[in-house]
Amino acid sequence: MRKLALSLTDGRGFDILLVAVPLGFLLALSGLPLLYNVLMSFQEVDMFSLGSVIRPFVGLANYKALFAEPETWPIFANTAIFVTASIAGQFVIGFGLALFFWVNFPGASWLRGLFLISWIMPGLVVGAVWNWMLSGDFGVINFLLREAGLISRNIFWRSDPNFALWAVILANIWLGTSFNMILLSVGLSAIPEDLYEAAELDGANVWQRFVTITLPMMRSSIGAILSLGLIFTLQQFDLFAAITSGGPNNASNVAQYWAWDLSFKQYDFARGATISVIMILFVMLASVIYVRSTRQEVRG
Amino acid sequence: MSIRMCLMAGAVALAGIPALGMSHASAEEITLRIWSLDKPEQPAWNLAKEFDDKEPNIKVEYRLIQFDDVVSEAMRAYSTGQAPDIIAIDNPEHALFASRGAFLDLTDMISKSSVIKKENYFKGPLNSVTWKDKLYGVPKATNTIALYYNADMFRAKGLDPDKPPQTWDELLAAARKLNDPARNVYGLAFSAKGNEEGTFQFLPWVQMAGGSYKHINTEGGVKALTAWKTIMNEKLASPDSLTRGQWDSTGTFNAGNAAMAISGPWELNRMTSEAKFDWRVALLPIPQPGAERSSAMGDFNWAIFSSTKHPAEAFKAIEYFASQDDKMFAKYGQLPARSDITLPATGDAKKDAALKVFQEQLKYAQARGPHPQWPKISKAIQDAIQAALTGQMSPKDALDQAQKKIDAVLG
Repeated sequence: MRKLALSLTDGRGFDILLVAVPLGFLLALSGLPLLYNVLMSFQEVDMFSLGSVIRPFVGLANYKALFAEPETWPIFANTAIFVTASIAGQFVIGFGLALFFWVNFPGASWLRGLFLISWIMPGLVVGAVWNWMLSGDFGVINFLLREAGLISRNIFWRSDPNFALWAVILANIWLGTSFNMILLSVGLSAIPEDLYEAAELDGANVWQRFVTITLPMMRSSIGAILSLGLIFTLQQFDLFAAITSGGPNNASNVAQYWAWDLSFKQYDFARGATISVIMILFVMLASVIYVRSTRQEVRG
Repeated sequence: MSIRMCLMAGAVALAGIPALGMSHASAEEITLRIWSLDKPEQPAWNLAKEFDDKEPNIKVEYRLIQFDDVVSEAMRAYSTGQAPDIIAIDNPEHALFASRGAFLDLTDMISKSSVIKKENYFKGPLNSVTWKDKLYGVPKATNTIALYYNADMFRAKGLDPDKPPQTWDELLAAARKLNDPARNVYGLAFSAKGNEEGTFQFLPWVQMAGGSYKHINTEGGVKALTAWKTIMNEKLASPDSLTRGQWDSTGTFNAGNAAMAISGPWELNRMTSEAKFDWRVALLPIPQPGAERSSAMGDFNWAIFSSTKHPAEAFKAIEYFASQDDKMFAKYGQLPARSDITLPATGDAKKDAALKVFQEQLKYAQARGPHPQWPKISKAIQDAIQAALTGQMSPKDALDQAQKKIDAVLG
């Protein structure tokens, strides 16, 4: 008994306790719902059997029905475009800004802090603001483009099938850039100064220093930010709800919004769960990349 | 997305817990639980309170639910045995619950009631509480859509404000005349949004042309969608009508950026304070002279859950609510779903004139459905509207595709 108490306060037991609490928490609040979601995707679910766990098992019928829908592939393609374009935009602009603030001119640090405002704004608020800015008749973006002479007639960002998805991407890039910038700034500041000094003495120019020192030293930060970006973009829901609602005609619909629409607007919970399961696979892929790139970081 | 799923699963699990501590209602005083989306300045909140004060032996617990949550909350509660006694439910969702036996059959109670009489209600609202010839609820209120127009702009463009457009052709002709891009004025404002609002606005057109939600790809349906397409193609309405709801669309009318607008009586209070011009309301234009009139029918119904332990008391509460119907417009601007009530004048000439038109239009209002899978039918129609208006499909093809999906649901 004393041995157990001792082990619990200072020993293996303590280690196990430390691991068991968060693990139990994760299992109860993430693991079980996740399994429940997977289970639902193999069942026939309607709203009146929502309270029970045992429901008619239908095998892969939900998956087959899903891929028989004409809108399925376009929506998954939209999701891919949305994720790729959002991450690319967020990363390139974020990296650029991080390098810019790295120069450390007067006021750089608090200016960098101000950029975080976009990240702490609730998604629905960001969505509502962009909704106004992107409005076809009175939106400020059209006004600026028109005054600058770039367009001769208004672009209907939200309602033109050619632009709707890009309208949401634009808003999402704005939303996520500062987060990219901050994480990359942290990575940049961890690179030892003397590396650059030595390279400079050896006659390496700016571009060579960037490619041979900055990029390799940033590998783990970049891996982490890209996989986090994938997770955050696949989670992005508020902007769709606020700007286009997935319309017009699914032109800006993506998997995550579609799953919600099916579950909570059309009450097709099984179909909604099916899409979620497919998305879980992609997020798991991102998690593997994330874990691998941060593991390297720890080993340093 | 999986997070939402998790939350839901968690809520289902938690909903079981309060069941343990709930069975201590005393023998003489019973508790009625009422759910509705009405806020303190709206009817149900106050009616529930009045009923609570009036009946010494009945305690009323009122719970406010957000519009988006009504159905999912109710489903969850019913499937876990936690349903309230009374709920206010949006009319297209009524059949879903009635068809699954979640709502109490009120047919006998209504036939014996001295307050609620079947024949006093408009056909559309009554139809929405009906499932297989039985009544599963009582219409709480009703609304419909009609054509608002800016009489000042009519005069400025040489149109007679006393002769609003009667047919679709006249509507289009008027919109063309009123359209003034140089001044940022569109001829018409309406909503073709890809949600229930789009269906709500579109179905009346189909019905006037002789179609219905069951037969959407008929000649009439195609004619209706083609008329909408003409409006969009000629830019007689803002292209943003595709992603904008009725409230925002009518906002542009109030601001003088649209000369006509299709919307409902819920706009009246805002329009009275915001619109600084001579606005009027006309019946929805019909496809050709002599065609049948039709309109959309909105608003909520009262229903009693079949799991209630106090059906008599719950019905008594609904009887009390119905007995107050005649005061609802003056107090809260809500239109009763009844033909036997003459609404008193409000004193505002424009509002009173508009009210007359809406009451006339209500006679032609048709319920959406009733069908237990209404959201799926509605979605098929929304998709067709959006596919046609964005030019990705012809109206005929889009409606053919919708018909296929609707046939699959109707079986």
